Amino acid sequence: MTGIVIKNGFVFDPLNGIAGEQMDICIDNGKIVKEVEERKAKVINASGMTVMPGGVDIHSHIAGSKVNTGRSLRPEDHRKDAVPKTKYTRSGVGYSVPTTYVTGYRYAKMGYTTVIEPAVPPLKAKHTHEELNDTPIVDSGFLTLMDNNYLVMKYVRDNEFEKLKAFVAWLLRATRGYTIKVVNPGGVENWKWGGNVDSIDDEVKNFDITPREIIRGLVRAREELGLPHVVQLHASRLGVPGNYETTLKTMQCCEDIRPIGDREGVMHVVHVQFNSFAGESFADFRSGASEVADYVNKHKHVALDLGQVIFTDTTTMTGDGPWQYRLYKLTGNKWVNGDVELEAGSGVVPYTFKSSSPVNAVQWGIGLEVALLVEDPWRVYLTTDHPNGGPFIYYPKVMAWLMSEKARSDTLGETHKWGSSRTALPSIDREYDFNEIAVVTRAGTAKALGLKNKGHLGVGADADVAIYDVNPKKFEPSNYELVEKAFSAARYTVKDGEIVVKDGEVVASPSGRRFWVNVKVPDDIEKAVLGDLKEVFEKYYTVSLENYPVQDEYLPKPEEIRIDATEKW
Amino acid sequence: MAEIKVVLISGRTADQGASLEIGKTSDEYRENVALIELSKKDAEELGLSEGDHVNVKTDYGSTVVKCRLSEKLDPGLAFMPYGPWANQVIGSETHGTGMPYYKGVQASISSSKGASILTIEELANRLMRG
Amino acid sequence: MSTYENVVCPFCGCLCDDIEVTVEDGKIVKAKRTCKVALSKFLNHTENRIENPMIRKDGKLVPVSLGEAIDQSVEILVNSSWPLVYGLASTECDANRKAIELAELVGGVVDNTTSVCHGPTVLGVQDVGEPTATLGEIKNRADLVVFWGCNPTAAHIRHTARYSVSPKGLFTPEGRKHRTIVTVDVRETGMATISDLFVKVKPGMDFELLSALRATIRGHEMKNEDVAGVKMEEIRRVAEKMKTCRFGVIFFGLGLTMSKSKYMNMDALVCLVRELNAHTKFVALPMRGHYNVTGSCMVSSWLTGYPYAVDFSRGYPRYNPGEFTAVDVLAKGGVDAALIVASDPAASFPVEAARNLSKIPTIVIDPKVTMTTLIGDVVIPVAVAGIECEGTAYRMDGVPIRLRKVIDPHEGVLPDSEVLQMIIDRIRE
Repeated sequence: MTGIVIKNGFVFDPLNGIAGEQMDICIDNGKIVKEVEERKAKVINASGMTVMPGGVDIHSHIAGSKVNTGRSLRPEDHRKDAVPKTKYTRSGVGYSVPTTYVTGYRYAKMGYTTVIEPAVPPLKAKHTHEELNDTPIVDSGFLTLMDNNYLVMKYVRDNEFEKLKAFVAWLLRATRGYTIKVVNPGGVENWKWGGNVDSIDDEVKNFDITPREIIRGLVRAREELGLPHVVQLHASRLGVPGNYETTLKTMQCCEDIRPIGDREGVMHVVHVQFNSFAGESFADFRSGASEVADYVNKHKHVALDLGQVIFTDTTTMTGDGPWQYRLYKLTGNKWVNGDVELEAGSGVVPYTFKSSSPVNAVQWGIGLEVALLVEDPWRVYLTTDHPNGGPFIYYPKVMAWLMSEKARSDTLGETHKWGSSRTALPSIDREYDFNEIAVVTRAGTAKALGLKNKGHLGVGADADVAIYDVNPKKFEPSNYELVEKAFSAARYTVKDGEIVVKDGEVVASPSGRRFWVNVKVPDDIEKAVLGDLKEVFEKYYTVSLENYPVQDEYLPKPEEIRIDATEKW
Repeated sequence: MAEIKVVLISGRTADQGASLEIGKTSDEYRENVALIELSKKDAEELGLSEGDHVNVKTDYGSTVVKCRLSEKLDPGLAFMPYGPWANQVIGSETHGTGMPYYKGVQASISSSKGASILTIEELANRLMRG
Repeated sequence: MSTYENVVCPFCGCLCDDIEVTVEDGKIVKAKRTCKVALSKFLNHTENRIENPMIRKDGKLVPVSLGEAIDQSVEILVNSSWPLVYGLASTECDANRKAIELAELVGGVVDNTTSVCHGPTVLGVQDVGEPTATLGEIKNRADLVVFWGCNPTAAHIRHTARYSVSPKGLFTPEGRKHRTIVTVDVRETGMATISDLFVKVKPGMDFELLSALRATIRGHEMKNEDVAGVKMEEIRRVAEKMKTCRFGVIFFGLGLTMSKSKYMNMDALVCLVRELNAHTKFVALPMRGHYNVTGSCMVSSWLTGYPYAVDFSRGYPRYNPGEFTAVDVLAKGGVDAALIVASDPAASFPVEAARNLSKIPTIVIDPKVTMTTLIGDVVIPVAVAGIECEGTAYRMDGVPIRLRKVIDPHEGVLPDSEVLQMIIDRIRE
């Protein structure tokens, strides 16, 4: 492959302290290099344009069992967005639950090159791998659901912390997952009898533990194992007015857990918009974003992603079975529930966010409030919790709202008045600059994930680069449509040194890598856990232990991150 | 000729499954699939004994299979295992659903003691010549 | 002689993965823990195999080389204006992916056996959804198990032992004694015989019975004496059992999808189960037939957005059961060529559709002689997935399991996915 020189662009590389400097980026053999012979390289003239590392999406439901349930559930969603095949691309459908090929193409069009699927039940992990294998261009990985897992809950109950750690390592290896995902801990187990939890100190039936204990057990396990990414946590009571208090308690419950090494964070609360509701009912519903942001500003152990609402028809899908049932009761929309034996749950319900809806208006405000009130952009990530808050193709719209006070007030003007009166948004005039946008969409997320060669343009990084046709020096926030347009269709997207998008169209479709984490634990404790596993499989599962783990064949391009947890065991 | 009217259901049986895995052209397959289960009462009305050949006729076609008598079927109901003999008498109208009425078609049954049961090869030839 | 443990059975939607297979001299000589059908599948894998690729010349199928068969297949597909690709549920997922890629390439319609099996279930789910769970949830929690319009003793033989009736699970240590088993059917099947309660419903009236149950559970006072041939007091009894159980499940099958009302039966069933969720924990599970029909729907959904009946003639996927479903495109005409993979529509379709299939140029990819290979114009033998080649299959509850390879196929006999790839590559040239 020939080298590439991207000349004269305004480069934003926050991890290397570059904020809009006009400079060249050189690429050779798929990596960023110091220099390359120009006459032997392809030259891209990026003058007047913004150059950033390829986007890294830390939380987006793109592949696996519940995503596919969403796809087959919603032919009506697909019919409005048919995608014909082209010389370089397969056909498919888009909008809120795009097909796998279209998912890869559309991320690449926005200049994104890495995506993390956030919730996979171990029993169905092969399904996620199969779909990711058919998702072109982007590198990927996923988070393994662990908190409602039988053995996890049993070890937490019996205070068997060493076994818990070893089992977490085993689950990651068996699923080829990236880190621990927690979704409504204990609530999903209770839902298997039709119940839920009301607080993190509520009882998890038949297990004699609380959600708090599950959260703390897994957060501590992650620290001691030294996994590259923190625990991602979908808090209890999602979608319930007043739930910001539960979110605060959830964050508080890990305050005393010391991060290991030079890291500062121990947990990442996901799509926090849905968990930042104040008020006691939908009648006095208002934003709890200030309270949540205030806490995050004062406590460094937490990071958040937004789960920003987009006013459109979309498809909600989470591992939070009881929440999805609740949403079905609220809306009367079609509802799929999918409990997974001994491990997890899920639910899918179509939903439309309307600007005329008072509650939706507040929700829209909450996501932006959180992003604007949290001072440290390195602990806040731009997501819509695709597709729960809205399809990922609307990220550029979110960027525009963050970068432009006018964009927000224009939208507020078309939105139900609760958007203004029940949130603090009208009083916030902060505007993200290009550097901060780069942090919340790539540098910060890559750093949080622990992906050393992603999210930056230093020498040795993977040559994943996005070039957007907007001049950061001449940009006026009131012209926010420029940013929306530029970030919706990259002038160029480069992946591993290959041009994959040109002028907003896909021109090449290489396959991406699969990141996964392989943790070594002491032999004796692993043996003990295996003994417990054999018993659980024989007695309670409906597949054999031998057939359970994901085989090598499912990762044609594996990128194994090895960790030796035996030294500091 | 005496005939009785039944509601015909087609469906899976373990023998049909086991014999199809030997092969569709096997004798076992024909033995286990080219048949119809009738209630004892209906069979008596037609003067049939276990194993007699019968003609099954619907608006969509007709076929000759052997009969089995069942204690468990109500009169007016008949059952045939899935397969090409049953499908000779099933219509292809799906009413916009893609699914034909494999279960619940009106059929007439009459005795056909001398008639032969077609083999898979003969059925295939009939399709091609049809 | 070698013995393989935890082999996955490639027959029905149960996808049992505890089979022990013994191989000697390239043949399976023993298989343990199988049901009657699986035993037949494993022990008879060499029976009735197609020996060579064949092309019909002057009305007769004659042996040819694989290359010739591929060339002729390509000829047929490229010269057709609207080809049908059909079958796919009895082979593994890679073959499914390739078949869809091929249909997209030639602008054809691709459909899998769902359309004559649980297609109506899909339609019902697309209307109202589906509260469901994996089979282990039934094993571990269910105390009320209803079989509606299905007969596992005939079609999913180890289902009751492995998942739904007798297993002892986490919260069901008493196994069979823990559960009340109810069968609803038009006739007394083998399943009815071993149930605690058999409800005989009039043929074609399941919709009414489901609705009456739902109305009763909602507290409506029904004035009928009976509905669908079932006495009102029986309906009230069943409703009460459903409301007061701890964890209930309805397994449903082709008795609902194939009879009058079709997908409306599914609508009614899901609405009933949704209603029950206000009182207790209740789920529904379709008894998917072929071992990978669920996989066919999965692959089709992630690649095209739609689980079956997909047309590519405009260069993008379009979905319309009734228009693009295989029986319809054959019976009403329209498709002028067909590629049949791992299926026997000449035998399993209504005669009119089967007849039309025999009239158009048909390429058949299958390990064994079937009625469809007998009427085919090109026949290509392939390896048996799950015995001679690996791949993923999805169980009826969506759990993916990797099929094993325990025997090498004969020389020159390739897996479906490779044959399809050869056709794709040749077309692209």
